[in-house]
Amino acid sequence: MRAGFQLGVLLCAGLYSYYAFAELSWLSSAGRIGPAFFPRIIGLALVVLSAWSLAADWRAPGEGVPGGWRAAALLALLSGLFVAALDVLGGLLAMIAFMAAALAVFNRGRWLQNALLALALPAGMYLLFKVWLNAGVPRGLILPF
Amino acid sequence: MDLFSNLLLGFSVAVSPANLAYLLMGVFVGMVVGIIPGFGPAAALAVLLPITFGMEPSGAVIMLAAIYYGSQYGGTITSILLNTPGESSSVAATFDGYPLAQQGRAGPALVMQAVASFVGGTLGVVLITLLAPPFSQLARSFGPPEFFLLVVMGLSTLIVMIGSNWRLGLVSALIGFALGTVGVDLETGNSRFTFGSAELIGGIDFIPVAIGLFGLGELYYAFYSGLHVSGSGGIVQYQKEKRFWPTRRDYAESNGALARGSLLGFVVGVLPGAGATVASLMSYSVEKSVSRTPEKFGKGMMAGLVGPEAANNAASSGAMVPLLTLGIPGSAATAVLLAAFVLWGLTPGPLLMAVKPAFAWGLIASMYLGNMALLALNVFAIPLFVQMIRLPYRILAPAVILVCTLGTYSVNGSIVETWIMFGAGLAGFFMKRYGYSPAALVLALVLGPLAEQSLRQSLIISRGSLSIFVDRPVSLAILLLTLALVIGGVIMRRGRRAYT
Repeated sequence: MRAGFQLGVLLCAGLYSYYAFAELSWLSSAGRIGPAFFPRIIGLALVVLSAWSLAADWRAPGEGVPGGWRAAALLALLSGLFVAALDVLGGLLAMIAFMAAALAVFNRGRWLQNALLALALPAGMYLLFKVWLNAGVPRGLILPF
Repeated sequence: MDLFSNLLLGFSVAVSPANLAYLLMGVFVGMVVGIIPGFGPAAALAVLLPITFGMEPSGAVIMLAAIYYGSQYGGTITSILLNTPGESSSVAATFDGYPLAQQGRAGPALVMQAVASFVGGTLGVVLITLLAPPFSQLARSFGPPEFFLLVVMGLSTLIVMIGSNWRLGLVSALIGFALGTVGVDLETGNSRFTFGSAELIGGIDFIPVAIGLFGLGELYYAFYSGLHVSGSGGIVQYQKEKRFWPTRRDYAESNGALARGSLLGFVVGVLPGAGATVASLMSYSVEKSVSRTPEKFGKGMMAGLVGPEAANNAASSGAMVPLLTLGIPGSAATAVLLAAFVLWGLTPGPLLMAVKPAFAWGLIASMYLGNMALLALNVFAIPLFVQMIRLPYRILAPAVILVCTLGTYSVNGSIVETWIMFGAGLAGFFMKRYGYSPAALVLALVLGPLAEQSLRQSLIISRGSLSIFVDRPVSLAILLLTLALVIGGVIMRRGRRAYT
């Protein structure tokens, strides 16, 4: 898994370098240092160091700190769905749905507490951002909040 | 005389009712942020930055700075009571703080850490008051080569001293630089890495990246580590005690450690990249080496608690010197502070103290008051913070995700930036798990444009010759200091490895 992540970084570094060499010019039209100068240096260094890290890891593999993937993946999935729901449901409803789902999964069995928190926290957050701070909160497709 | 009149001007700004209210709000939020494991000052500052948009600039920066140094106070409470540091800079406080709590001396340990934080923080502010003006004067002679080398110094110190793998730290910094090149090239006006997207023309804003890496990424990692099941990590070692206050012996044992920790911490804090964590660990090593009873360290020595505590608070004050006088942040948290400055059109650097004296001195004066407020809060509100520690992480985490998401969206009202935050959260989780450095990435993302611009300008001035970095005396001095710090960092890492 660690090697996979490092390989991903190496691949991105390669694509970044390719763009810097293929699409950007080394000199500007005035003959000065151009837009490719810094990205090419960064890209090359990134490719070399990522490859070196990958090779070093290959010789002495490490898997990072052991832990529970399930809980982290569930929280990531729920927060990803929350971001996706912002534009569809609107800020307030998306927050209520996210809190209800997250508490149902991680704070099982405490239905009354969860229901109160799932309503009170988003309402408080909405009031804080929308009313008190006058900041933008995503509008939904059906309801305007 | 000039110094006193400037300081008086600063206090007149800091004690206005609105600024005082923001200051108190900031120190309280900082304490809470410090207590929550996995939610550091960088994430908190990034999340709360949009909230301050409606405020007057002085008040907003006073509040954000108070959150920054307040978090150093709060992080130690969980170190002592739970053996779980709230911040990385509070790791050293677990070594002797938790054993003290296990011996039924949580009260004296908490009071002494508050006193140590106050002494370190206040001494740090006194040193800022004395040193910031001459630093500003010196920095006015800096040109592009010096600024480029300062960026290099900050990043290389951060990479060598923090984290377990320098190669991965360097890769993280390079990723930050690479992200910093997205958008329009300021010198030529050419678009780079935008792929025709209008959203990317202005570049990648570092606020969603910082919130993702330090907010969401840390939360995912906390769940991965099982923190949602075990509460905040263990049994809270605190009950209402008869012997709450420290004894005379505690104070007597701590005097030397307080002075050494404060001075060491400030010096380390001034160096871009080194920061509070390095300062506290160095202070612990120093205290152990000068002690007549080093074998008692790790078993509940007060000097082992107060030295590092004074050091990390002095370091957080010290870090304000390069930020205010050079515009170079030394950590992810101070990078967010830099962004806050820039958002209000206050460009930190050599001219800040001359052009905006009320703002700069107002901030410095507020730090004196903030440290006093934190001392009172730490001593008298301990039962309140003990209750907060008992708040289950499984409830806290979803609430923090709400703040992160809404905070990100409210900056520019952009769903794309909210997705960038989510992506940065996933990246932050993997980076933390596999030994990369999210702090180096954010710092490089913030400093990338400055690094590129100053490198290009340096090479234009020298007609392409790299000798410009060694020909100028100040450049050469920065270069030599960087080399010394890197070598010192490598030696320190080896020592730490041998120690563990």
